[in-house]
Amino acid sequence: MLENSFGHPPVLHAQNLYRSFGATTALNGVSLEISLGESLAIMGPSGSGKSTLLHALAGIELPDAGTLLLNLPGQPPLNVQELSDRARTKLRRGSFGFVFQSGLLIPELTAEENVAMSLMINGVPRAAAIAQADQALIALGLAGMEQRRMGQLSGGQMQRVAIARAQVTGAMVVFADEPTGALDSATGAEVLETLLDCTVGQGKSLVMVTHDPSVAAQCDRVVKLHDGQLISDSRRGTSVSGGDVR
Amino acid sequence: MNILHFAWLLGRPAKTRLAPQVLTVSAYALVSAVMLIVLGGAYSFTRFEAEAQGTYLPLAGFAVVLLIVPLMVLGSAAARLSARSNDRALSSLRLLGATGSQIRSVAILQASGTALVGALAGVLLYLACAPLASLISFQGSPIGTAIYLPVWVLVAAVFAVVGLSAISAAVGLRKLMITPLAVATRRSVPVPRWIRAAITVGSILVLSLLFTNLSQVAQSIAVVLIVILGGFGLGMLILNLVGPYLVSKVAQSKLKKAQTPQQLLAARMILENPAESWRQVSGVAMASFVAVIGGSGAAMMNATSAQEATNTWYDYLPADVLTGVLLTLAITFICVAASSAITQSASTLDNAELYSGLHRLGMDWGTMNAARVKSLMVPALAASIAFAIASTLLVLPLAGMAVIFSPLTVLTVIVAVLLGLVLVRISITVAEPARLLASRE
Repeated sequence: MLENSFGHPPVLHAQNLYRSFGATTALNGVSLEISLGESLAIMGPSGSGKSTLLHALAGIELPDAGTLLLNLPGQPPLNVQELSDRARTKLRRGSFGFVFQSGLLIPELTAEENVAMSLMINGVPRAAAIAQADQALIALGLAGMEQRRMGQLSGGQMQRVAIARAQVTGAMVVFADEPTGALDSATGAEVLETLLDCTVGQGKSLVMVTHDPSVAAQCDRVVKLHDGQLISDSRRGTSVSGGDVR
Repeated sequence: MNILHFAWLLGRPAKTRLAPQVLTVSAYALVSAVMLIVLGGAYSFTRFEAEAQGTYLPLAGFAVVLLIVPLMVLGSAAARLSARSNDRALSSLRLLGATGSQIRSVAILQASGTALVGALAGVLLYLACAPLASLISFQGSPIGTAIYLPVWVLVAAVFAVVGLSAISAAVGLRKLMITPLAVATRRSVPVPRWIRAAITVGSILVLSLLFTNLSQVAQSIAVVLIVILGGFGLGMLILNLVGPYLVSKVAQSKLKKAQTPQQLLAARMILENPAESWRQVSGVAMASFVAVIGGSGAAMMNATSAQEATNTWYDYLPADVLTGVLLTLAITFICVAASSAITQSASTLDNAELYSGLHRLGMDWGTMNAARVKSLMVPALAASIAFAIASTLLVLPLAGMAVIFSPLTVLTVIVAVLLGLVLVRISITVAEPARLLASRE
């Protein structure tokens, strides 16, 4: 297997992704490799295509053109474009984790049920799923809050529940869209630290969209988009720009 | 701000909100047509002899009254659906400086406009269905042209539907917060009081005792009718006391047993607001009452009249009561189905962002839909079964004798209830998240 400059085999390999919405081009020939254990921040101004790229990499939306290969350890490589909607849904719930700005937690459920839900969808019996969910919540500092509903938790606590949900299935790639965007700076820093610990800290990959340079600076690598094109790709200490970006 | 102008701008037909608009107008059309047919049927009774009118007209009036509750529920749900399908526009108006009452006026006008279109379509639907309805037989002969109502009644009915929808829209909108940033539904977690349930159970026992004694002296059709109407009225009073408690108890039991994501989610959705869950299915409980009490009465009258023909209008009463019971069941279920479709669609739009987000996270549309369906059908079945049992207890000797002496009548009523539940289940397919949210995008 090929290795990239990060020193790990790429878990995601996107090549020449194109996506347009009517007359607007959201992705214009984006190519990107993401390694296992790597944290990657996607930055750029509003409308630059950040979220579209995240959605394409996560198999939420298919690009109009281009290829996306998924190379998970111990599994045969997958061409995500060739998967049906149902298969991509299954892929997302089994192999990927998500932490979005709004949390997307189900308000009717308790914290432990929200986390357990992702396991139950994958066929884990309820009792076992609840036990694993409780462990994950306790590990993230939410002991005693397992039975609380979303309205009874603070913004930071809700994001920790979302992180617990994203990692409890053992997903090797976690996608985050402005995970600290709705939090104050102190809480945001705590949540980011937790997110990095739960992903790259455990050998998993983290792909994160952010506006915040201080958040991006915590990642191993930062890519910048402008008008759907990748204009820079910098790792800590190095920087590649324009057409050299891969 | 010209409120009428904004109401038209936001409420006029548009591709992006076509599904909720068509749904709401169709529901209003259906309920209006049903109401007009019931009124037409009632109107046709005025040609009966005076003594017969004395029995038939109150029963028909009773059926019309039964329609008001689902119509109000429908109006409230339609207003919320209308506001929900316009949430971005209404929020933007707030941001531009419109006051909350101006926005509510716009939303109520929209709901009234939708109700007006629906009611007018309902008149057409009534005229189209009238030839079929005219074949229904009372007093041994078809209703015939008497089903056609005078024009002034049609006009009054249209105004009544619009007025009721406006009132219930105003009530329904109190549950929505239209802020400059978003439209949100007020959430609360009411705790059903067990004391209510205890009082209700006590009342049922007392009433059951009372009716046991009454039925012993019920030697004439008139007394049987009193038993039927009295049982129904008291049953209706109890219904709304015990309903939310029953729904929350059933959901708690389902929560304990839940093994799949959809079972867990459905139970939690019900427990989120048992009173609201109950409100959606209270018509089903009402149908159970009509079925058991009316059905038992019809069966018993059937058995009694078979023995002693009087060659008067009395001879037709048992068959006519059964016809009335079946028609009432059909009407009730049509109304419940229409309001369920609307309420569920409003709920799907309420949770649009969450549903789409959960799908992005990897939850199948099917799982979300199954949870939504269960959250309606579990209370519906619970209401149907529990209130069938409760009303059987109320008129136990009558119901017991009905099964023995006229099993076919009882079976007919049971089949009608089952068909009604199937109708409700089919009606809520219009609110499937994948379908409704796709049409919105």
